[in-house]
Amino acid sequence: MQNFPLTVKAREDFPLLKRKIHGHPLAYLDNAATTQKPNCVIDALVRFYENHNSNVSRGVYTLAEEATEIYEEGRESVAKFIGANDSGKIIFTRGTTESINLVAAAWAQPKLKTDERILVTEMEHHSNLVPWQMVAQKAGAELVYWPITPETGSSDGGRLDLQKLDELLADSVKRKRSFRLLAVSAVSNVLGTVNPIAEIIELAHARGVPVLVDAAQAVARMPIDVSGWDCDFLAFSGHKIYGPTGIGVLYAKNERLEEMLPFQGGGGMIRQVGRQTSTWADAPQKFEAGTPPVAEVSGLAAAIKYLRNFGMQEIQRHEYELTTHALKRFAEFEDLELYGPPETIERCGVVSFNLRNVHPHDVAQVLDESGIAVRAGHHCTQVLHKRFGIAASVRMSFGLYNEIPEIDRLFSALDQAREIFLK
Amino acid sequence: MNTPTIYRDLLLEHARHPKNSGRLESPDLQASAFNPLCGDELELTLSLSAGTIQDCKTQVRGCSICQASASMMSEMILAKTLKDAAKTSQIFTESLSKEAEEIPESLELLRPLIALKTHRSRIKCMKLAWDALEDCARQNET
Repeated sequence: MQNFPLTVKAREDFPLLKRKIHGHPLAYLDNAATTQKPNCVIDALVRFYENHNSNVSRGVYTLAEEATEIYEEGRESVAKFIGANDSGKIIFTRGTTESINLVAAAWAQPKLKTDERILVTEMEHHSNLVPWQMVAQKAGAELVYWPITPETGSSDGGRLDLQKLDELLADSVKRKRSFRLLAVSAVSNVLGTVNPIAEIIELAHARGVPVLVDAAQAVARMPIDVSGWDCDFLAFSGHKIYGPTGIGVLYAKNERLEEMLPFQGGGGMIRQVGRQTSTWADAPQKFEAGTPPVAEVSGLAAAIKYLRNFGMQEIQRHEYELTTHALKRFAEFEDLELYGPPETIERCGVVSFNLRNVHPHDVAQVLDESGIAVRAGHHCTQVLHKRFGIAASVRMSFGLYNEIPEIDRLFSALDQAREIFLK
Repeated sequence: MNTPTIYRDLLLEHARHPKNSGRLESPDLQASAFNPLCGDELELTLSLSAGTIQDCKTQVRGCSICQASASMMSEMILAKTLKDAAKTSQIFTESLSKEAEEIPESLELLRPLIALKTHRSRIKCMKLAWDALEDCARQNET
């Protein structure tokens, strides 16, 4: 058995992990959907409401100043966490989905022309796909797919091929149908594939194409460096990094911030309001109309501090070991179909599969009877699932508190599914 | 599954050997239902004579519960009027609500499904075939 000092330290911090489900200890393996919350995050929310609750940027009294400070310190901690050199580039949203919709509405839509195109990949989550479909349809522009490599389960399957990207970019130059944007996820929420973001951005920028990175899955799993990557936009959610729901982040580099029109109108985003027209506040406030989620930001900052205490590299190593173990176990079973690369290299702790001839819903329900929480469905990636000729899959996804015995429990419980559905 | 074994076996029997599975060649009515949560889909084809269901088939790509429900439904609605069948569907929906305690006599056949209603995430699986049936009934009215 491997030694997992990280897990031993972490498990105690998560009150929910003490729950029993159907008489079994909970094995929470749905961290790609959302993560559990450590005490420090829960405490931060309670502390805010018990001691500092007031609106931000509006009052001069003590509480209002405290709330404003908590909110802006949260922005600072997010900036440092993702390698942004200026917290002014951090916009708070409700989540990854809203962050991407913000870019779509405030930046892409006003700029997009009929003869332009938007490039997405076949592995995108609906949140990084549907907004682009909507924008493209409105403008009469074309949505183009960067295909993933075929043959999942083979070592070069389920990945993004850089050569193919280069071809797509060169072709668009030749046809004078330029890409307004490349929207790509850093980590696939189904295949667990870790995409070579730095190389992708370099290639796209060489052809003058801005890049939006959907970091929803990546941000809890590996170090993020927006400055090093030089990405134009990056989006993620608080609830997937052990923080509260209802808080998300959009990072945008300066040139893009300057190009962006306001997203929603309201309080907090204006400079001056006249009877007919208004002028806008500077970024990031320009994009944060209405009362912001102050308590959620304090919780997010607590989550970031918690992760930094472990170190993102340490968390990455931990997930790598869990994933390696899971993939090794898969190799033992003929009737399990694994999607995505079969080796841990260029992969992280998200592993999707099917038990042959058993519907993923049925598998997930049987696993639940043993206290094992996994996701079954298309995981908001219908394009990707259709690409594989399947409607749905079962997904296990790891967090910093998961242990190898939990993965082994899953493989044992699959026997019950075989017993019920295949006997 | 956390249900009495007898129910489970009944459901699995239907799921493994679904009744009236497939597609009618020239149906009078046809409806598809889709579960956006998991991507499951189902097509119901019906032939009618003077408002009565003469024949019906379901083509299912779904889980065991979805498949079993479609199979049970096809047995229940044959030789019924489409109107009565749609009424049964509504009673079934009511019996799946959290508050419903008794299972109406007319739904006795569906008891193994209704027993699973505490799994709220599976209600849509149970309802998929019936949604298609109600769709057919609506088409027939207009």
